Amino acid sequence: MIAIYVVAAIAVFAVIRATIERNTGRKLPYVNVMNFAVAGAVVLLLDHPLALAAAAAYFVGSTLEANAVASTYAGGERRG
Amino acid sequence: MLGEFLHILAAAAVSWILFVTVDILFKLPETGGVSGASAIARDIEAGGGALAGGTMMGNIVCSPDASAGTLLAACGVYVAGIPGGLAAAVLVYIGNRICHDPGYAGTTGAVLATFVIYGFTQIGFAATDFIAGMVIAILTIQGLSHTHASRLLARLWRVRE
Repeated sequence: MIAIYVVAAIAVFAVIRATIERNTGRKLPYVNVMNFAVAGAVVLLLDHPLALAAAAAYFVGSTLEANAVASTYAGGERRG
Repeated sequence: MLGEFLHILAAAAVSWILFVTVDILFKLPETGGVSGASAIARDIEAGGGALAGGTMMGNIVCSPDASAGTLLAACGVYVAGIPGGLAAAVLVYIGNRICHDPGYAGTTGAVLATFVIYGFTQIGFAATDFIAGMVIAILTIQGLSHTHASRLLARLWRVRE
């Protein structure tokens, strides 16, 4: 069962990269990698059907936060 | 142990091809879905990357796309087989709407990934291989070199155009 160790190592690596990166726009993709790794780790650690709901709730919530941070960083206006 | 590691690497390659293909078919590199995605794209371009690839990376950050769909489908198949994967697709769909994303890349990716991952579990792969594989796949795009990843995505986007 090395999957959990691979996922955990990537989470730590992503946190270090996000901490070192100074530019907010380039920091968010590293945080995104950490979110993927944490969502995967939740399911790998908790082998239960509700773990899927927990992982999805965490992932969608953290993505929404990244969305909010990025949009605030962009000035809050909608350009898309 | 080595066998499991090779399975994870193979799963990473399959996941990578799946989510990049679906995202590019759904035109994620074309335009930022929200202003934040465009801001991330500009910063990646300012760092030496390509704008189209940066836009796709910004969209991945700002809303669950096919990569998130693949990860959650792998989680769903792991805990409950095909019904779990399809439940993950529903959760991704809800996540897209919450994140102000009108697209269907995430939902489509989750449904496709459910059947692909289930197929691989029939030939000796474990769903956990795909959970770790998808995390490796997203690491190669978002976590190693934004410059090179965005240029590669932009090159693939030009092929799509």
